[in-house]
Parts: sequence; structure tokens; C-alpha cells
Amino acid sequence: MVFEILHTTDYRYSAKASEAYIETRLTPPLLSHQNVLDHRIEFSPSAPTSSYVDYFGNKVHFYSMTLRHERLTISNHLQVETRPVSLPTEALAVPLAEARQILNSTLTDVFDYLHTTEAIPTGGNAKPWVKRWLKNGTPLGRCLEDLNQQIYRHFKYVPGSTDNATPLATVWRQRKGVCQDFAHVMLSVLRTGGIPARYVCGYIESAPTPSSTGKSLVGSLATHAWVEVLIPGMQWIGIDPTNNCWCGDQHITISYGRDFRDAAPVRGTFKTSGAQSLKAKVFVKRLSA
Amino acid sequence: MQTLVPKRANSQPTHSRAWNEVFSADGTPRPAYAPLVEQLRGMPLTTLRKLDDSLEATLREMGVTFDLSRGKSWNQRPWHCDLLPQIFTALEWEQVARGTRQRLNAFELFLRDIYGPRQILKDGKIPVAIVLASPYFQRVAVGLPRPDQAFLHLSGASLCRRADGELHVKHHYFSNASGVSYMMQNRRALTRVIPDYFEGYSIHSIVDTPTDVLEVLRKLSESADPSVVLLSPGPGSAAFSEHSFLARRMGIPLVQGNDLVVLNDAVYLKTISGLERVHVIYTRVADAWLDPLAFRPDSYLGVPGLVNSIRKGAVQLVNGIGAQVADDRALLSFSAVIINYYLGEKPLIPTLPTYWLGDIDQREMVLGNLENYTIRPLYGERILTPAPSEELTDYRRRQILKEVQPAASGFIAQPRDADAVTLSFQNGKKSQRTQDHIAFALRLDEAKWDIFPGALTRISTENSPYTASELGGGSKDTWVENLVSESSAAPETRRSVESRPPVHHVTSRVAEAMYWTGRYLERASSLANMIGIIEALELEELNATERQLYRPIWNRMLPPLENRTESRRNLSSSRGRYRLALDLNESGSLINNIFRASANAESVLECLSSEAWNVLTTLRSKFQTARFREELSESKQRTVTKRLCDTATQSIPQFFGIAEATMVADGGWNFCLIGQMVERSAITANALSSIVNALLTSTSQNARSEHAIEIQLSAFLRLFSCRDAYRRVFQMRVELAPVLELLWEGTSIPRSVQRCLEKISTLVSESQPHSSHAIQRTLAEVDSMVTAIRHTKWDPLVDDALAIAARESASKTELLRHVARLTQRTFGMHHFIADGFLNHQIHMNEESQPQLHGI
Repeated sequence: MVFEILHTTDYRYSAKASEAYIETRLTPPLLSHQNVLDHRIEFSPSAPTSSYVDYFGNKVHFYSMTLRHERLTISNHLQVETRPVSLPTEALAVPLAEARQILNSTLTDVFDYLHTTEAIPTGGNAKPWVKRWLKNGTPLGRCLEDLNQQIYRHFKYVPGSTDNATPLATVWRQRKGVCQDFAHVMLSVLRTGGIPARYVCGYIESAPTPSSTGKSLVGSLATHAWVEVLIPGMQWIGIDPTNNCWCGDQHITISYGRDFRDAAPVRGTFKTSGAQSLKAKVFVKRLSA
Repeated sequence: MQTLVPKRANSQPTHSRAWNEVFSADGTPRPAYAPLVEQLRGMPLTTLRKLDDSLEATLREMGVTFDLSRGKSWNQRPWHCDLLPQIFTALEWEQVARGTRQRLNAFELFLRDIYGPRQILKDGKIPVAIVLASPYFQRVAVGLPRPDQAFLHLSGASLCRRADGELHVKHHYFSNASGVSYMMQNRRALTRVIPDYFEGYSIHSIVDTPTDVLEVLRKLSESADPSVVLLSPGPGSAAFSEHSFLARRMGIPLVQGNDLVVLNDAVYLKTISGLERVHVIYTRVADAWLDPLAFRPDSYLGVPGLVNSIRKGAVQLVNGIGAQVADDRALLSFSAVIINYYLGEKPLIPTLPTYWLGDIDQREMVLGNLENYTIRPLYGERILTPAPSEELTDYRRRQILKEVQPAASGFIAQPRDADAVTLSFQNGKKSQRTQDHIAFALRLDEAKWDIFPGALTRISTENSPYTASELGGGSKDTWVENLVSESSAAPETRRSVESRPPVHHVTSRVAEAMYWTGRYLERASSLANMIGIIEALELEELNATERQLYRPIWNRMLPPLENRTESRRNLSSSRGRYRLALDLNESGSLINNIFRASANAESVLECLSSEAWNVLTTLRSKFQTARFREELSESKQRTVTKRLCDTATQSIPQFFGIAEATMVADGGWNFCLIGQMVERSAITANALSSIVNALLTSTSQNARSEHAIEIQLSAFLRLFSCRDAYRRVFQMRVELAPVLELLWEGTSIPRSVQRCLEKISTLVSESQPHSSHAIQRTLAEVDSMVTAIRHTKWDPLVDDALAIAARESASKTELLRHVARLTQRTFGMHHFIADGFLNHQIHMNEESQPQLHGI
């Protein structure tokens, strides 16, 4: 499928800002199931940007605005072609314990995706879930599907019920959250169970054209988030607990990390005497199947 | 006397067999100490005490402090240095130097490995989690350029001597050589107080340490004339006196995060003379706080975009980002492995046995025998267990277990009896103390380290059983025997030191804080004056007309506020005045202005004279202790109001006077005075514009009568304390045109706008040795405003306006428009100052748009 996407991030200040520094992780990577036809990032007010590739492989743009301004807008324009992802059935058929053993044999490489981060504590609430859904003898694929479904059922998707600062413990307790929380919960369970997994930030098509089969997918008015699991053969496979599905050609990837903080599409620091408010909007339009 | 009997023998199981640094087992002084001990032994207690006092006084005078309590005011706790120095023989020091070099070489390679191929982890030599789960492992540092490829440039290592006399490494301070300045200051103080001490001793000099460091830092940049700065967290940091000393001795600017700005990938220092490119940063701010975009987003200590600038090679940061992981105590137990892995050698100085409690066997051993261990977190100076001289109570034991058990991998244990004992003369009393040492090293080239021949020896004191400065420990000057050239072993003071001319950079942060100190103090002073005058007036009997006409005028004269929020400020009732004096919820109140002024001054305390700061703290504390109480009777409120306003009215001019007499007359201080003038001109202009408005547009015909206008103008002049000046200048009854003339352009009237503007002009030009675009711009604006004010013909403007006002409400007269324009321009002076010198909007415009150059 070919999508045209416009993602705008709009900062407004109650008092003019004299300095602003922004880092974006908005460049979609080239993948076997994702081809980038066109991509550009626009900053307003305009200023030179510089870029680099970060620890997790994301292309980052650094922008600084050191002149007084009232408003700052970042527009991410892209045209992406996605292809269906075929599930690696063999690797997913490996029993969980065996998969864990294979994956942990290169601990130095996968450690980042197994360890606790500040945003995603492991153990605690995740432990009973590991016991119940990540059974040693069960095939990995089955474990993942079960876990995905259980998270989808147990937690309620409620926009605005959490923000970036909400601790995961609160999400566990209130049993509701947004896609970021669904992904964090799943990552916490997988890592507690010894399965390396990472956080993915991207876009999703929410209102498929009538000809398509699917139901409407949640999460499209803002950026979306899901999980990628490392499976035997050292391959990452995407799974989306917010929508209870494997990731397919309606998911467009833009950044990776251990958690939301690593992968945040836009980070900013401002110097202003007032407050700033942020509005992000995402439009995803399918151009062709 | 070396065998002091411990007060509670059973609580000090370790002391009896600790190594004694000064005396050998038979009670005679060790050879190196013999002459000194002889000298000190012969002194009566009173002499010792006197020497100790004068050593303390000298350190205090030198400004050497280590401030433990953040809540208290800066510069409170002087540094303690003992009368008896620590002496290392040449042979002993050779081992220290070789062992420290070896360790630094190994750990440098270790850092490059773990931020690169991670071979040591892949080879399974140390647990992966110790490195990769360390909060000090910075993923950002992977692939980040480093100065001359190296992480470590200026490092420290802590050493202790165990019971058998062998030196051991106790802790790594590889990423942060905290204490270098204290090593130097101890020597400086001792040579001043007891110069004859050094007779007969031949020791190495450490006086060139800062110069050596600066040379190394400068070499890290490719620039022909690199600019180096020392980045400090500021006066809130306990070791701020160290940062300040090092910067001064190196002749480089001492800066905080706010002083630097990243522009087009490069780092600049914001000074009142413009933006100055920075090539090398020696940081005392830890990684996590360095850049809110790369690390903790809530950090205000760092520089946004700094990591990006490092990545682009535009600035060098020392030590390299990520180096802090080398100081993780969990790695201490693997030091031998690390040294062997990279160098194929055995440690030249063994590591003090260190048990990582993340390991279950080690944890059980340690927690089961808690009385034999010192338990510490992986980083920082905290110690959970009692000092060797203290008792491990059951309660304490339970507390320790409660904290350690759930998070055991965050702690290590070392033997409790690790430290040697020494002799101390604190307060003239001979006593036995425990001690350890920090040696410092400077990287000269690849695998080439200079170990400074001196150290910071830390001792326990009367006040603290611990040696760490953070825990209240004291120190000893540390001598290293010099065998090479006995003749050059004269005391430090006799050596000629290459002194650099002090480079004086007034940073914009300092200027801005000074500027706002000046503004808030002037605002407070005006307000206190007004309230005080009204309180006095009310007591005289004003007649009913006066009372009625005075009141509306007063409120219009209140100083304008930045954010035009709803204000219930009211000068005309005594309750209103009480609120204006003391209510914290009223943003324009006297108390808030004084607090804001103090907060600004406090943020640049290092630039204020202590005399001036004393005036402010005294004033502040008077307001702090007077609590706002709405329920107080009106008369009591009036008493409080009057007392506080009197205090402010006296203290604020006193502050300016004392500061003027005691402060370095540099650009920074000028900005305090500029702030005062900007504020004063704004208050005057605002009041003038308000009164003109009030007189001309009043809906009441009565208020516009000639007599009423006179009464109102009279109230106006009284509140500005200008009635006498008016009479002297004009010798006539009070009329509008002369009042306007007096306060807009009266060159002899302190409050007049023109006089304030001209003062701003002078202060701005004097603030810097050379003129700049920003100065030219400001001077041109002042000139043009003064011309506009001078060319105003007040008489015809006022006559016209009054003629119209006699018939109808004169809201659209030329007079009103003109006054409004002048007032706006007066307010606008702030932007000329702020944009030109404080936040650099003009300079940045030039920088980011190079095509504008020369226009």
C-alpha cells in the first residue's frame, strides 16, 4: 500500500520563547516491508538543521531556534510504500524456553532490550503475566498472540487517560491507557520473561478504504506505538497490543528504542518565561493498495 | 601518645591493629615524620591551638569552603586542614604513581571497549549487567567523538593503607578529579601559616597544577587560540569554591549552563560584549545533567544541544561523556580482571577487597558479618554503615539490612578496617584519626599520565568519624619527598609562578541577574517610599477634598508589572498597603520584589561582595520573619507596614552604596545600576502617563477644575518626593506643564526620565572596554529619546489638552498620544538592554544570518 502522511507538531507559547532546541526522530527507516518514496521535515521558523544516526539506528534531526518566536511548528511529510509482512512461522514455532535460550546466548547484543528502564520497570506486576502467558513449553508465536490478546482485553484504550509522565504502575492499576502504555506493558512482561523486545513509534492507518477487510484501527490521530519482539534467527517482528494484531502493511515505522523516551519522535527544550502547549496531528491517507 | 585509648574499646575493634602512619610499632616517629613531630611535640597546647586557629582563618580568608548544607547560605563552612601534613617518601610515591598510571591506562581501554566492540563483555570477563545496566553507562557516548580519542584526561584515585602497611586502591574518581584545588589550597595555607615547617624537608611543588591542566585542555582543540571554560553546577554545589579556584588559577571563565548557547552546532559563551566561541569545556557537571535533549529533560544545569555540538566535533568536553561508568564501585572488584585483560599485567597497587552485593555469595557473607564491613552505594559518597569508631547497634543493623536487601545490586562492601590512623592536631588537641588519600593524574598523551606529586589526604575529625569531605571529614596537606634536586625544595611561596593576566568575561547570565537585582530593588524601594509617605501623610489631617482627590492618583503611580495580570494593588487603604508590603500572593508586593531581588543576587553570589550580600540577607530575613496576617487589627497592620517600609527604604540605598564601595567595578555591577535606572525611568514614565490620563479623562468635572488639578499634582509630587524640588526649580504653584517638564527632562531630578536614560548611556558604555553594535544601538536609542523629550513643547500641548478637557473628556489629545509614545519608548529600553547584552537576540541574528554582516 502507498500512504501519504502529514504529521505536524505545533508548539505555542504563552509568552514568546527566546530559544528552542528540538530533536526529531521522524525519518522512516528502509525495511523489507517499508519503502520510502518521499520524505521531508519542515521547521517553522526555518533554521539550519543537522542530523546524525543515534544508538538505536534512528536518523535524528537537530534544530535550534535562537531568535524570539511565538510559535514553532514541525511538519513531517512522507510517502511510504508498505508490503504485507509474512510471519516467520518456523521461528515462531520454537518453544518459548528454547527461544529464550537462543536469544540470550548473545547477551551483550540483546541486553538493552531485556533490561529495566526508568519508564519500563520489569518484575512486579509483570510476573504473574509471565507465569500465565509465557509458558516454557508453549511455542513463541502462540505466547505472543496470547499475551497480545490478554493485554488488549485487560486494558482499556482511553485517550487522555495517561500522559508521558504516568508511571507504568499507574497503568497497571487503572487498567487503562493509550498505545504507548499498551506497548510498555507488553515490553515489561516480555522482558521479565526473558524475551528481548523493543518499542516502536510510527503511524497507523485508522480508517481503511471500504474495499479493505479490516476493522478500524485505533491510534491514528496521533503517532502510534507498538512492540517488536526479537525471535530466533535474530529477526524483529512487530506486534500491536492496542489493536490485538501482528503488524502489517497498515503500520508505518518511524523510530525505535527501549521505551517511549528513547524513541520519542519529537523532543524539545525551550527558553520562555511562560508556558508552552503542544498539539500533534497526524493525517494518514492511502493513495493506493 | 600514639596509643590513645579508645573511649569504647569494644566499639572500635579495628583501630588497635590499623596501620599507624606517623609512629612505628615501638612508639617512635617514623623517619619522615621525626623532625615535624619533634617540632610539634615541643609546642605548648596554647601555641598549637593558636596555629590551628590561624590555619583555619587563613583558609577562610582564601575562600576555601566545602558547603554541606544546601539550605544555608553559601560560603559558610570553612575547609579543615590539619597542622601535621601527610608525608609520602619518594619510594612510596613511585608506587602510587606507577599504580595509578597503570589503572588509568587499563580503564581508558576499558571505556573505549565498552562504548565500542564490547569485547570484554563478549568474552564473559565481567558480568554484562554491571556495565550495561549501570545508570552511568551512556548510550549517547557510543560513537561520540572524544578529545584526542580519550575519555579520561583529569582523574583521581582514592588510596588507603591497610594494617600491613600496603597501599590499596579504595575508589576510582577517574571521571571527576574532585579535590585538586583542596590539595593546592592546603599547601598554600600551610606555607603561609608555618613557613619554617618546610625547613629541612625537600618536597615536590604542586603550584603549577592549574597551568599544567590548562595546557592540556588547550591542546585538545585544533584552534590556534582555543577558548576554554570551566562548567560548574553553580554555587549550589558543595565544591563550588574548588570550581571557582581552578577557573581563577587557570585564567578561564567559570560558567554555568545558562552562560553557554549552541548556535549552528557550535558552542558560544554569552557575554555582555557578545557571543564568544568556546572550544574546550572542562565540566564539573555530571553527564546526566549536561544536555536536557540527550539526558535528563528536567536539567537546568546543562546546555541544550551540547551533545550535538560534541558530535559535530565543534567542542571538546573533558572528561568524555560516559566516563562516569568507570567509577561505578561494582567495577572495583573487577579491577584486576580489567587490568589483566587490557594490559596483561597484575595491578601494581591492589584494590581494596570489594564485594558486590549483587552477587549472592558475597552478599550473604557480608550481610552475615556486617560489623566487619563498610557498605556503600555504587556511586557517591554515602556510607550506610557506622564508621570504625562507632558502634553497630541492632537498630542500625536492621536499618541497613532493610535498605540493602531489596536492592542489593546497588551496593558494595569493603573491609571496615581499611584505613590507616594518623595524628591530628585539630583545635590544638593531639588525637588519633583515620585517613585516606586521593591522588590526581593528568593525561599528557596516549597512555602517558602525569601524577601530581601531592594528594588530598582526608581525615576523620572531631565532627565526623568519616574521612569523606561530603560526610564532614577534614584534610591534611600532603608532601611527596623530592630526591631529585634538594636545592629546589623551597616552600611554594618562594617559587615564582607564571601568572596569567586575569581575563575578565562578564557573562550575560551574571549581567542579567544583576540587572534584575537592580530592577527589583528599585521597584521595592519606590514602593516602600510611596507606602511610607502615605502612612506619614494619613497622620496629618488631609481635608476631605484632598483625601478624595489624592487616593485615585496614588494607585496610578504604582510601579508597572511585567505580566499584566489582574492586580488588586491598593495604596489608599491601610489594609491595602499592608497587603502591598507583605502579601506573598500579591505579585507586585514589597516582599515579593525583595525576594526576587535576593534570589537574583543569590544566583550570582560569587560576583557579589559579602558586605553587599549581608545587607540584602538582613533585609530579606526581616521580611521572612514578618508573617502576613490578614486578621491583624488595622493599627497593628499599620505598625508592621511602617516598620517594614522604613527598613526597605533604608536598606536598599545602603545596598547600592556598600556595593559601590566594595564590588569589583566591572560590567556585571554596571548592569545592576542599569537595572535600577531602567526601572526608575519606567516607574516615572508610567506614573506621568497615568496622571495625565487621569486628569484629562476624569468623568468628574470637579476633578478637572484648576484647583482639583493642583491638589492632584501635589499628591503626585509628594509621592515621588519631588515637591521640594519642584518649588526650588519653578517657585510657583503646581501646574501640569512644569510637572511634566520636571519629571521628563529635569536633568537635576534623580527621578526624571531623561536623567535615568543618560545614566543608562554612561553605564552601558562603561560596561565594556570596547564599543559594540549592541552598545551603539543602545546609545543611539537613548540619544533619539532624549532629543524627542527635549523637543517636546509642554506648554502648548498642555494648554490645548486642558482647553479640550474643560469641554469634554479629552481622551484623544495630542498630549496623551505624545506621552503614551514616550512612555512606550521608555519601557522599550528594557528590550534594548535585554536583546543587546543579556539574551543576544541581536548577536544571534548576526550569527545565524551571515549575509547581514556589514550592513
